[in-house]
Amino acid sequence: MATHLVSVLNGLAMGSLLFAIALGLSLVFGMMDVLNLAHGAVYLVGAYVAVALVTDGAGVAAFVLAVLAAAVAGALLGGLLAALTRATTHHLDQALLTLGVGLVVAEVLTLAFGTDVHSISAPAPVGGGVTVLGETYPVYRLLVIGFGVVLAVAVYVLVERSPLGSVIRATVADRAMVAALGVNTGRVLVGVFAAGAALAAVGGVLAGPILGAQPGLDEKVLLLALVVVVIGGLGSVRGALLGAVVIGQVQALGTALLPEYASFLVFAAMALVLLVRPAGLLPARTGVHA
Amino acid sequence: MGAVSLFSLTRTIAGLAVGALVLSGCGSSLGESGQSGSGGTQSGGAVKLGLLVPLSGVYAPVGEDIKAGFELYLDQHDGKLGGRDVDLVTTDEGEGPQTGVPAAQKLVTQDQVAAVAGVVNSATALGLRDFFDESKKPLLIANAGADDITGARKSEYVWRTSFSNGQVSGALGPAVAEEVKGSVYLIAADYAAGKEMVAGFRKSFEAAGGKVAGEKYTPFGKTQDFQPYLSAIRKSGADAVYAFYAGAEAVNFVKQYQQFGLAEKTPLYGTGFLTEGGVLAAQGKAAVGVKTSLHYSTELDGAVNKEFMAAYQEKAKKPPTVYAVQGYDTAAVLDKALAEADGDSGDALVKALGKVGPVDSPRGSWKFDADHNAEQTFYLREVRADGKTAVNAVVDELD
Repeated sequence: MATHLVSVLNGLAMGSLLFAIALGLSLVFGMMDVLNLAHGAVYLVGAYVAVALVTDGAGVAAFVLAVLAAAVAGALLGGLLAALTRATTHHLDQALLTLGVGLVVAEVLTLAFGTDVHSISAPAPVGGGVTVLGETYPVYRLLVIGFGVVLAVAVYVLVERSPLGSVIRATVADRAMVAALGVNTGRVLVGVFAAGAALAAVGGVLAGPILGAQPGLDEKVLLLALVVVVIGGLGSVRGALLGAVVIGQVQALGTALLPEYASFLVFAAMALVLLVRPAGLLPARTGVHA
Repeated sequence: MGAVSLFSLTRTIAGLAVGALVLSGCGSSLGESGQSGSGGTQSGGAVKLGLLVPLSGVYAPVGEDIKAGFELYLDQHDGKLGGRDVDLVTTDEGEGPQTGVPAAQKLVTQDQVAAVAGVVNSATALGLRDFFDESKKPLLIANAGADDITGARKSEYVWRTSFSNGQVSGALGPAVAEEVKGSVYLIAADYAAGKEMVAGFRKSFEAAGGKVAGEKYTPFGKTQDFQPYLSAIRKSGADAVYAFYAGAEAVNFVKQYQQFGLAEKTPLYGTGFLTEGGVLAAQGKAAVGVKTSLHYSTELDGAVNKEFMAAYQEKAKKPPTVYAVQGYDTAAVLDKALAEADGDSGDALVKALGKVGPVDSPRGSWKFDADHNAEQTFYLREVRADGKTAVNAVVDELD
């Protein structure tokens, strides 16, 4: 039993990271109808920022610096992507455009950092382990769970309780109506795109000590984020949170309980959700029209 | 906004698939270098050779090392093999047979090379077996480890300068059985190589009286977090662990093995790829104490290795790996065979390959066995901290 509780804990850590990564993808998809396939590459930019700035045995300062640098880099990339995708309204064109940007970014990263696998060490003070339920558990992962909780609360307050949040939610629900009310929806969209990309890049730094950085990681992360978005429901903060927690648990606890089926548990969960709730578990409220 | 539908997602995924197809199509032509059209099959003049290694995808680090090793040998011999100028055509193998097989076929049919060297992926190597067998051209495998390549599906035209999976993991079995008092848990990535590695280890380990605590395969290329498996290992009460992973999975497995506190109490054994080259650099101190079997280590004492290390360091600006040695040795074998061969028809080359004899390599002396596989010494290596970096110290020779 204790073993499984540790898996639950671990699922929460992975869920926290997935939430940070998938949130931007979900909001951009819900708001702008843009499936940003460069999202994984933005994540990878964050991971490589950590490779460059966090050296072995680095302290908290270097790590915080990496988080800030990744946030800036992510926001810039997000802004750029928002501008690019506004040039066309065709879904497939936008998806291919972002896919292309993602491939270019990933290739540039490979040119700069090589094809080798890089790992990032957790900041020295939290690099060790503590005993949880009789097993050694890395302190860093506990901090990641804490970060996930703080992020979830902060985003909830921002999106559900602030005036800015009501504009964002209204834009998800009906962009034309919000524009008719005199709000510059373009600026809202760019802002959300940039913020979402910044979060993905920060996720890349925070996931560094767990997943490292290597070519191809962008695709794996993008796929997981897409699954989270599909399970949670598009354009919904609560959906992204629920989807991330579910996928985190499916990966950790599911693997512990059913190791033989580990490779497709995630997709089985997605298929199940699509069968029962085709719009996802907690889709954005969409107003009257379909 | 209900417009976002599954339909658009499906279309996007279809678009992605098309994109991927287009890209992989480009990959095989982008990776090419060298000129075409010179024919190059006349005896005495230049000889045209194909180097087929992954320059993109997950195996790119391995491919780059093989290429660097091969090219180092050429550089050291004024670009000549067997006294003849070499026109080397390098092509990207990609990640699997869907890119590797057509790339090799192009080397033989279009570029008309006399022989092809390289091949990292075992599925690609097995997929190429019939083609080379029928075209009567030599294929020198410089990495792919599937047992069948020089076993059930061996060919007169396929030679291997690297290792076979069962061989490299089997060498470790008796040593672990002797060192570990108790049972050992076996874990590997769930694909052909993982299964062969575990089978090879298990066979020699159990024959030497070892006891297995459990056997588990993790989804290949999809496992980033090993915590559920590490908990299962702990619960099994095993006294040691044997693991086979490579690349990113090797980094994550070894680091998490240490982070979750198993490294302190449960010694970790593995096949050398678990702690080789860039993988070891990324693992850093987390890998200290891991013991592996492999046919090479940078810490080998021989003069050939010392000289090779210095030359490789200067060329590639990093220490060599077993992959670099395999590339280097493949060039050395071709050097000997071309010197011996009467013309460069496939049959003449194959005949000469049979007479290559012992190769004086950085890994020690080795030769081809009757099945065209490398017959060599395996070393028991232990990761030790060496200043700021970690190295694979040579503990013992395995037999």
